[in-house]
Amino acid sequence: MSEPANTASTDTRPAAGPDWQPRIIGFLCYWCSYTGADMAGTARMKYPPNVDIIRVMCSGRIDPELVTTAFARGADGVLVCGCHIGDCHYITGNHKTMARMPLLKRILLDLGIEPERFRHEWVSAAEGEKFSKLVAEITEQVRRLGPLDWPGLMRTRGVGHGMDLKAWGE
Amino acid sequence: MTADRPPHRPQSPPAEAIRIGVFICHCGGNISDVVDVRRVAEEVGRLPDVVLSTTHMFMCSDPGQMLIEEKIRELGLNRVIVAACSPTLHQLTFRRALSRAGLNQYLFEHVNIREQVSWVVEDKAAATLKATRLVRAAVGRIRHLQPLAKRRIMIHPSALVIGGGVAGLVATRDLAKRGMRVTLVENTPFLGGRMAQLYTLFPSNEDAKELLGKLIAEVVHHPLVTVHTGAQVISSSGIVGDFRTRLRISPRGVDKHLTQVGIAMAACPEETISEYNFGLTRRKAIYMPYPGCWPQMPAIDWRSCTKCGKCLSVVGGKGIDLSQEPQEIEIHSGVIVLATGYDPYEPMFGEYGSGIFPEVITLQQLIRILDPEGPTAGQLVLNGRPVKSMAFIHCAGARQYEGINMPQPSGKVNDYCARTCCTATLHQANEIIDRFPDVVIYDIYQDIRTYGRGHENYYERASERGVRFIRYDPRRLPKVRHDPRGERPVVVMVQDLLTNRLDVEVPVDVVVLATGVIPHDISELVDMYKCAVGYDSFLLEVHPKLRPVELAVSGVFLAGSCQGPMDITECSAAAAAAASKAAALIAQGQVEMDPFIARVNEDRCSGCQTCLTVCPYEAITRDPRKGVAVINEALCTGCGTCAATCPSNAIQQFGFTDTQVMAEVEMLLADMMPAPLPTGGSHE
Repeated sequence: MSEPANTASTDTRPAAGPDWQPRIIGFLCYWCSYTGADMAGTARMKYPPNVDIIRVMCSGRIDPELVTTAFARGADGVLVCGCHIGDCHYITGNHKTMARMPLLKRILLDLGIEPERFRHEWVSAAEGEKFSKLVAEITEQVRRLGPLDWPGLMRTRGVGHGMDLKAWGE
Repeated sequence: MTADRPPHRPQSPPAEAIRIGVFICHCGGNISDVVDVRRVAEEVGRLPDVVLSTTHMFMCSDPGQMLIEEKIRELGLNRVIVAACSPTLHQLTFRRALSRAGLNQYLFEHVNIREQVSWVVEDKAAATLKATRLVRAAVGRIRHLQPLAKRRIMIHPSALVIGGGVAGLVATRDLAKRGMRVTLVENTPFLGGRMAQLYTLFPSNEDAKELLGKLIAEVVHHPLVTVHTGAQVISSSGIVGDFRTRLRISPRGVDKHLTQVGIAMAACPEETISEYNFGLTRRKAIYMPYPGCWPQMPAIDWRSCTKCGKCLSVVGGKGIDLSQEPQEIEIHSGVIVLATGYDPYEPMFGEYGSGIFPEVITLQQLIRILDPEGPTAGQLVLNGRPVKSMAFIHCAGARQYEGINMPQPSGKVNDYCARTCCTATLHQANEIIDRFPDVVIYDIYQDIRTYGRGHENYYERASERGVRFIRYDPRRLPKVRHDPRGERPVVVMVQDLLTNRLDVEVPVDVVVLATGVIPHDISELVDMYKCAVGYDSFLLEVHPKLRPVELAVSGVFLAGSCQGPMDITECSAAAAAAASKAAALIAQGQVEMDPFIARVNEDRCSGCQTCLTVCPYEAITRDPRKGVAVINEALCTGCGTCAATCPSNAIQQFGFTDTQVMAEVEMLLADMMPAPLPTGGSHE
């Protein structure tokens, strides 16, 4: 595949107005990255408000389905952060993240989601500055791409009802 | 399904309607100066099932906590959300408030609107919107929370101490004195470790073996102590409170009926180098390292023994058995103390002439020579030549610099200070001045670090009594060469910083390398107990100041020089600290752990075993009868990696189920949905 499949459908997307704010979901592991994000706060580093953080115990818990669901529900971008390799609170939980995320990136491309909308980085508990910069970067990256609007696409094109949470239920 | 319900999920989800209370904190302006908290409360209050949405100046204060308790009772709240600081600060505070009000503490959700909103977002409107989204997500998630109970694990009232050196002995003694049953495991056939190889000890000049003998007597005669020598840890399972450790015990080959010890040892034709004397002498395959060792009987070194039977025949077959096989036993213990100690640094070939000149020895070898019970009966003689002059070179294998020192086999240099060698070196220098006043001593150093109480006296006394100090530049290491003039066997060439970089040549009989300290190789134990290891390869404590003798693995403690270079005083202090931490844990009787573990839905599990491969703790096995995965709850630490991996969604992690996290995603993005908001109803 030479280019993302959804380039043809950009006409159906809402135009990005000057006030448009990208919506990004961040999945962060509790021990390193979430603490790193807290550290950015403690140091009063300012960064854009666009990344909404969801906390999991380990980045190994970040099921690729969580990422695709976030896109399906209207996220314009997704950020995944975990401990650096070797620092995982659960020894090797992040090794699985390291294996999964590049694959997920390929799948997203096949789904027509630009790779720039998804980022996977290691952020330690001490890297508050790295986290704040990362948020600024991905926000800018996604802002340049404009809205993704998968829910709108799915409705206008009649594909993937995907709105039904029952699929996830136990 | 009720029968399958886990014991730590004591009740089914409440049948009554979900009643959510939302409490938003001003944090005295820390939050409310940026986030319009009243607006957030108002917005969230409109969501279904939210019975109460209010704000308070300080939620964590006593009145704030009381407000939560009151409202739970008054309004019959069965879910509580607090939007305040980071959960790392006060999640526990609010969970306790829930407990006090009679609500399960895990029906609580903490939203971080300070560290991750008010302190990082400049625009007030954007901050208020973000806070609203995050609280809204918590409302979505909290509907799916279920009451959970902390896991309780009983602690077996016993300890396993690995390592029979001074640290292991002190830890064992202290634990036994507190009434704990202790198993002490030593890898070699004799107790005492490195301390047994010393002669006198700084700073009191006491006799090492005499002191050690007293300590060993206290340990081995204690009724609560079991000692296994020649025992190796081969596997370990379990967690805090319930460790099961398998030991392989090599047979000693000798028992107490052997009375003619000297005759048996003399009869042995096999010789090997003596580890005890650091290779200065040789010993037999049936041996005792030194006369006062414990146990007071020889052991057979099975690597050198050929089972020729000569020892057996000279003593008439009494007390020696060459046919014994290794035994395996299992030790059940509540806690584990690691006291695996250190090894002296072994100089590489060519390092300060080591291996090239027989006149270059290590500090450890010198100490053996100075020991009246040592290979030369305390005479300062090397290779048959009396020593008239000697040079100490400090920091061999310590405080090394990348690009200057040869890298170690690991590829790194030992850049840490080995701490004990400065005082030990000066202690030996003084010993030599006392006993052999004619010997000329040079001390070639980077820095002298005699840091402990009484240690500096050794430096002062050495300088007063004629030790010649030469300070080298670590970028220009001293070189050891043949003495071209032939006065002495070797010459040390060094640039002296004390005399404005004068090039000095020091001809001497012996060069003593004050070799540093490296951790004893315990890579198997490191894997077994999942120990954290520092950049210097020593074991790493949880926190150097707040939790200095604990490993991150709960129930495993560190004693002595497995944690870093320490002298005996420090080893004993660390061992005593480890013993008291371990005893305190045992005295507690049980430990509580968070309930966020994973659980398999057997009806959904296809038995593909993918989860087995991802679990970092090997907590998942396959039930061969049912063909499904089974999670050992005692081993599961709740990372959730298996839950993310399961292709059938058959594994759920309590507190982070798919439904719960998906609801959070959905509610964060609720305003992006073209369809109306989904309301109420649990899908679990």
